[in-house]
Amino acid sequence: MFSTIYIEEEVLESERVRKLLDRFPQIPQVVCDRYGEVFNRKSQNFRLQKIAPALILAKKYGNKVLAAPSGYGYNDSKSYYFSHMLNCVYDCRYCFLQGMYSSANYVLFINYEDFEKAIVEKIEENNGGGVYYSGYDCDSLALEPVSNFCSHFLPVFRRYPNAELEIRTKSTQVRCLLDTEVVPNCVIAMSFTTSEAAVQWEHKVPSIGKRLEALHKLQLAGWKVAIRFEPLILGAEGLAPYEALFAQIFSKLDGDRLHSVSSGLFRMPVDFHKRIVKLYPDEELFARPTQTTDGMIALKSTEENTHLMAIEELLLNYISSEKYYRCA
Amino acid sequence: MKHPMPVNIVVAHALEAKALVKMLELERHHASTDFVEYSNSNKLRLLVSGIGKEAIAAGVTYLSEQQASDNGEIRAWLNIGIAGHRDASLGSAWLGNKITDHSSGTSAYPPQLIEGVEVGSVVTVDEPENSYPLNAAYEMEASAFYAEATKYSTAELVQVFKVISDNLENPVSEIDIRRVPGSIAAQSPQLLILIERMSAIAREYNSNQRLPGYFFEICSQIHLTVNQKLQLRRLCQRYKALGLEKELGRVAGRKASDARELIQQLTERIDRISEA
Ligand code: SF4
Repeated sequence: MFSTIYIEEEVLESERVRKLLDRFPQIPQVVCDRYGEVFNRKSQNFRLQKIAPALILAKKYGNKVLAAPSGYGYNDSKSYYFSHMLNCVYDCRYCFLQGMYSSANYVLFINYEDFEKAIVEKIEENNGGGVYYSGYDCDSLALEPVSNFCSHFLPVFRRYPNAELEIRTKSTQVRCLLDTEVVPNCVIAMSFTTSEAAVQWEHKVPSIGKRLEALHKLQLAGWKVAIRFEPLILGAEGLAPYEALFAQIFSKLDGDRLHSVSSGLFRMPVDFHKRIVKLYPDEELFARPTQTTDGMIALKSTEENTHLMAIEELLLNYISSEKYYRCA
Repeated sequence: MKHPMPVNIVVAHALEAKALVKMLELERHHASTDFVEYSNSNKLRLLVSGIGKEAIAAGVTYLSEQQASDNGEIRAWLNIGIAGHRDASLGSAWLGNKITDHSSGTSAYPPQLIEGVEVGSVVTVDEPENSYPLNAAYEMEASAFYAEATKYSTAELVQVFKVISDNLENPVSEIDIRRVPGSIAAQSPQLLILIERMSAIAREYNSNQRLPGYFFEICSQIHLTVNQKLQLRRLCQRYKALGLEKELGRVAGRKASDARELIQQLTERIDRISEA
């Protein structure tokens, strides 16, 4: 599961860490001072580390709840994100994390109580409200059996019914949710691309069918479920893959009961893109022409807007326009 | 061992090299007056650096300078040597997953990609250690080797492997150095896994990064500024990624005189083909 487990000396004796280490006695354990000694060092290579990622158990210092980038969310409420983990067990070729870090190891910040305190402070600052995203620098559910993220953070949001938690994921690890009483202000937002894109770029990610199955179970159990079509990458096949994807999704899920549906084009900071190109000079996606606006790079397409509108038109056959938003 | 093995092995002492020369079918290679070197036809190199941090750093620098013209290909680096431990049995061995430099107190953590090899800590000391206070292999080169070799390769491909030659019951002063080659030879199953795997990763890395041959052909035909060379390099990668290497052949065959025009043509062509 992990090639090695690195543990910051400061957290070595914490109960959460001890329990976790007891579960993996066969994995080599290495004690370090600070996770920065192991993670994101300058001579490291993200692509190579994906061969055998390690787990790093650390304590998060500094700001734990940050303002979400503009255009990230679905309503006008103040929105924030928090990352109890860095990096992801999946390996999507379009993922910006490859350009953000030189290391593919997973960092799990185990001081959940400090995150909880920071979240509560922020909620109270917002008179009990605000939207809180988890899964910006990681996939929050994919490592759930190890992290027990849900069992800690869901009760926090249950106490604040006007604050909304969005868990962004591609994981089918939903047992923790199905075994818990529904938290009405928690949204499970699953990302999808077309099946062609998934096969080509979403390595190690559960199939579309399996993800839909997980969402279906959640919807039946009463959980709020949302769909994120991200990133939209337009190919030579035109609209047909999107028609097929929407038909597949809405034959399984009740569109009327979805919390929200959004779409977002492929884009990322120029510096991240440069680093990813160095890692994957042989990748077709990065060989496509690009255009840069305000430090963000996107695929160049003269027909982009026309395509996007055509995709939206298809989508709106299945859901009402009030549920839909475009990510900036 | 038919594949190329882009691996540099560096040892401190000739006795550490002895078993490896036989195991890896290496031959003496008379390129340097400062170091004893061995190699084989598969690109595997073995260098005897001399004992201590300074000597091994110099050995790494020397090898990297020799290989600087390898078309940007990287090589894996492996330091193999003997070490002491308070109670590990003589002849036991491990790959270092934490290397602490005793004099500076800093530690480095070689990323661990290779399964099937024992792992453990290594401490690099400036003088031979007799009391082995930590649960680690004590030796005299690893920290300098790692710091130097990671300047020339990616950290995942820089590793140290230590074989225990002394412990509290068998102190360093009583080592029979004639047993060193035998101890290292006894580790051949682990060492062969390690070297094979490191060279496979380096080969794959180099293959992913490989530029089409046409890049070099075009460079030899047309004068390019440094910036134009970088642009051409990226264009060649794009053509390769899209399976269009042959298109470059047509350009390479032509007598294009103006580098700017050539780059513009190549850019327009690939943008047209690949735009969604
Ligand atoms: S699931 Fe999300 S976070 Fe994980 S690799 Fe894919 S895009 Fe990145």
